Amino acid sequence: MNSELQEKVGRFEEFIDQRLKPDLVHAIAERDKVFEQQKIFSDLRRNIENLEKNCVTSLRTMVNLGSEVYMQADVPDTRHIFVDVGLGFHVEFTWPEALNFISEREEKLARQIEEYTQLIASIKAQIKMVHEGIRELLELPVQ
Amino acid sequence: MAENPAMKKGTVTPISSLFPAEEAHKASKRVQDTIAEHQEQLDQLKGFMNENTNLINLVQKLPDELHHNIMVPFGKAAFFPGRLIHTNEFMVLLGVDHYVERTSKQTIDILKRRGKGLENQLESLKAVMQDLKAEASFFEATASDAVDGLVEIREDYAEESPSEVVPLANNTKAAIEDDEYARILSRIAELEQEEEAEKANEFNRDNQIENDLACNTIQSFTDQEVRSSKVEDAILQSPSKDGSSHGKGPALDDYSMKKKVLELPEVKEKVQAPVTADNKVSHPSSIPGSDSSNAFTGSIVEHAPDIGKNSREQQTGARSSKPVSRFKMQRK
Repeated sequence: MNSELQEKVGRFEEFIDQRLKPDLVHAIAERDKVFEQQKIFSDLRRNIENLEKNCVTSLRTMVNLGSEVYMQADVPDTRHIFVDVGLGFHVEFTWPEALNFISEREEKLARQIEEYTQLIASIKAQIKMVHEGIRELLELPVQ
Repeated sequence: MAENPAMKKGTVTPISSLFPAEEAHKASKRVQDTIAEHQEQLDQLKGFMNENTNLINLVQKLPDELHHNIMVPFGKAAFFPGRLIHTNEFMVLLGVDHYVERTSKQTIDILKRRGKGLENQLESLKAVMQDLKAEASFFEATASDAVDGLVEIREDYAEESPSEVVPLANNTKAAIEDDEYARILSRIAELEQEEEAEKANEFNRDNQIENDLACNTIQSFTDQEVRSSKVEDAILQSPSKDGSSHGKGPALDDYSMKKKVLELPEVKEKVQAPVTADNKVSHPSSIPGSDSSNAFTGSIVEHAPDIGKNSREQQTGARSSKPVSRFKMQRK
């Protein structure tokens, strides 16, 4: 009986370590990616709002050529922005259009994050359940 | 380990006992993991070097034009159409938030120096990889040998220097055999010293001389091939057998020496000659051949406990005067 018990406990632990924990790690990684995207877009939105506020039409900036070697660049007309809409496409927007698009994008990202959070929570719950199961199996003989 | 009962001492060891197949496998796996890590680093370095070369080419080409029309990135997800200006001025990061403005040529020099540094790193990493690969191949070979059941055979030279079959095994074995040999020699030396001291106090000189002769002959034969394990057995066995008779210190020493002597077939005859039996000590254990004599001038027949105690009293005076040897302490 004892050896059976040990075997079961061993199998449960194995299940946790091999299936649930990696799943958890994956899910967290995906969610972090989406977080990053969200941050990028919120930064962009803030910048565009700044441009609008200060009526900045032309821009002097430094462009990274690679390996942290910068070169001066001049943007004569900032009114047209090309924004990445996914699948390798960039669409030319004016400021208000760009802001519109960005807010919609942000909503979508927030929904994705929500999904991932739920997935992570469910995986964590499963891990907890299996733990409890193991503990039950081990406590009964003790009692 | 089997011992050849031939002229030469020899040992036959299966390699699997020295390097068990599993462990060799594990070791080779570990080494391969390290190799994989280093390979990654190597690839990364190569990537850096490629980037560097590309950049050098780019920096070379840029000053050809006054302006370049480009898409200027605005964050990670947006672009502006714009132009590159001041095409000969580059801002290079030196590390730790320090930048320098350099011309195209100077930037190229900087980048070339960086490339050299990267190359050196690459070379050293490659050397490390080579070593690791050699290690891995060795482990693989040993593992396959162990699995095949290869056997390592070692035989000694006449001068007691162990042969070289496997360097690793050789070192440990040589060390072990040398240690045993040294131990035996030291014990024999101690025995001699004890006997000489005690006999000088209590017994005839003749016997001392005889024993010295016996010691010397034994000594000379221990210089030649000695079966270390058997001699050790002799030394260890004698205390256990004669544990009750502490008083027969010298007798014991003599007996143990005799036992050693008698087990060395070559020595047997020679020893019998100098050791004329003045006294007889009849021991319960089997003594091949003649009676063994000991150093006592008195006649001590059997190791009965009473006699042992009496002679012990005699002995304690002698013993307390000199430092007690390791050998005696072991017997006690």
